[in-house]
Amino acid sequence: MRKIGLVFIVTVLLWSSPVWGKIYIDINSPAFQRFPVAVPDFKNLGEQDDTKKLSIKFSNSLAEALKMTGFFRIIDKNAFIENRDVAGITADTVNFHDWSIIGTEFLIKGGFQYSNENLSAEFRLFGVVEGDLIVSRKYWGTLDEIKIMVQKFTGEILLALTGEQSVFGTKIAFTGKKGKTSDIYTINFDGSDLVKITNNKSLTVLPHWSRDGKQLAYTSYRRLNPDLYVIDLSNRKVKTISRFKGLNLSGPWSPDGSKILLTLSKDGNEEIYILDLETKKLNRLTNDPAIDVSPTWSPDGSKIAFVSNRSGSPQIFVMNVDGSKIRRLTYEGRYNTSPSWSPKGNVIVYEGAANGSFQLFSIAEDGSNFVQLTFENGGCEYPTWSPDGRYVAFSSREKGKIRICIINSNGLNLRVLHEKLGMEAIYPSWSPRLQLY
Amino acid sequence: MKRNLKIAGILLLVLGLSFVFMAGCAKKEVVKEETLMAQDERAAEAQAAEKEVLPQEQEEAQTTLEEKERLLQEAAAFADVYFEFDKYDLNTEARETLRQHADWLVNNTEFEVILEGHCDERGTREYNLALGERRSESVRDYLLNLGIDTGRLTTISYGEELPLDPAHAEEAWAKNRRVHFVVVTEKK
Repeated sequence: MRKIGLVFIVTVLLWSSPVWGKIYIDINSPAFQRFPVAVPDFKNLGEQDDTKKLSIKFSNSLAEALKMTGFFRIIDKNAFIENRDVAGITADTVNFHDWSIIGTEFLIKGGFQYSNENLSAEFRLFGVVEGDLIVSRKYWGTLDEIKIMVQKFTGEILLALTGEQSVFGTKIAFTGKKGKTSDIYTINFDGSDLVKITNNKSLTVLPHWSRDGKQLAYTSYRRLNPDLYVIDLSNRKVKTISRFKGLNLSGPWSPDGSKILLTLSKDGNEEIYILDLETKKLNRLTNDPAIDVSPTWSPDGSKIAFVSNRSGSPQIFVMNVDGSKIRRLTYEGRYNTSPSWSPKGNVIVYEGAANGSFQLFSIAEDGSNFVQLTFENGGCEYPTWSPDGRYVAFSSREKGKIRICIINSNGLNLRVLHEKLGMEAIYPSWSPRLQLY
Repeated sequence: MKRNLKIAGILLLVLGLSFVFMAGCAKKEVVKEETLMAQDERAAEAQAAEKEVLPQEQEEAQTTLEEKERLLQEAAAFADVYFEFDKYDLNTEARETLRQHADWLVNNTEFEVILEGHCDERGTREYNLALGERRSESVRDYLLNLGIDTGRLTTISYGEELPLDPAHAEEAWAKNRRVHFVVVTEKK
């Protein structure tokens, strides 16, 4: 993948604008109305004809990226009334009344120059009501870096309007299963760049990213037992972490990156442990003849949510990181599993049985604010949060196909991550922010 | 005439020499032959002795191998033990099946068992890895109680990853909620 090439996109701040609108609209609120934005075709600022149709390539790519974030409503191009021959791409050349009248609040104007394989592009985001410039950027690169320029600017837009960058610079690891064997893959947030990570010729499950995004922990049956391994993504070197008798189920890494949660059955039944990866010290947290499994950290590392059937059927419990103060969290429904704690703190998303299928639910840490997020016919399972706490990826069963989907944390904007994987996609795990470009 | 005499003379000489030679060699040859014979005899005796031993051992080895094959085939047909959804307790039928398997294991101590725990496709994959392990542990505990040595029992869970019947209906699910027995010869 041309990751190295991406480094050479040079960006320049055309206008140092203070962060616009310090009171950010709560985009996670169910009442949030998506930002209406117009993205007209880019202007050819060079002298040569636009034989590559870059004018449309830029606007289409940008509209697609904005739509993918789930926070924008793209105004139909057919509604535009601006006179394209007269209007320019700077504030003094735009008639904002032409835009406010068609119902858009935001306008993105862009221009490009392309000659001798060199491409440069300018992007400007305007607030239509005030008629002011919010954020602008200029990028230099090559033709096949248009998508990257577009995704970078989308990140700048989100930062200016919502206070936080996009997640285009993140990946999702998952297990791809064909028949009786499975391996770990990674894929970008936009569904591009599918990469196969392991080559085990056996079952490979439960990938979990390290906090610096450089390693993946996982459980593999390559030595005829579910054992725990860690792979270094830069050189694909594999370390054996845990090979006890019985289960060695991989779990999430601690917020400070030094420890990993795991489920072992070596002491007679399934219990949750913390392993310090540096000192190799193993600390047992649960001590109950019931099944205890599927642990997840709170973002400050002080608590752990997990699954236990100690009250008769699988439910979600919360305990302190030393194993004390165990309390039950879920009381609705008779089967609640797969908790995933939002990086923003207060919300836990999990999988629960509902009317014959499994769906995703969210609940606050104190048990309040119980919400059903998905209503898919085939069911949804194994949720994982994005690092900004705005999206949840999960595995969905629809018409016999098992695929990774992404949904906004308010339950809207469901998107299939990749339609044609050719294998069952399960056990998704969302990476931290990576330095992709 | 002279020529003939010469030839005769040479022939006589050769004959004479060869007799002398042969006389000397003969002894050695005899000796050699004797030695050889002795060696041969000893070898033959040894071989005969071996031949007496080998067939018996070979026969024994042969029967043991055939017998092992037969027993393994028998064990390959071991019935699975089934469970209710989200449960790992053994019902009456399960316990009866396990008693039969235990009898077989008690009578054939050179074999070990891998207890594979499986689940149906419903519910969480990760939870099912634990549930499958719990099912195989249930079976192991019961076999331990019936006197099978702990060293002969290994558990492994596959969760819902390796169903017997991939169909999405209760008949298939019921078959998948199982512990499956893999009997192997003892690892020494």
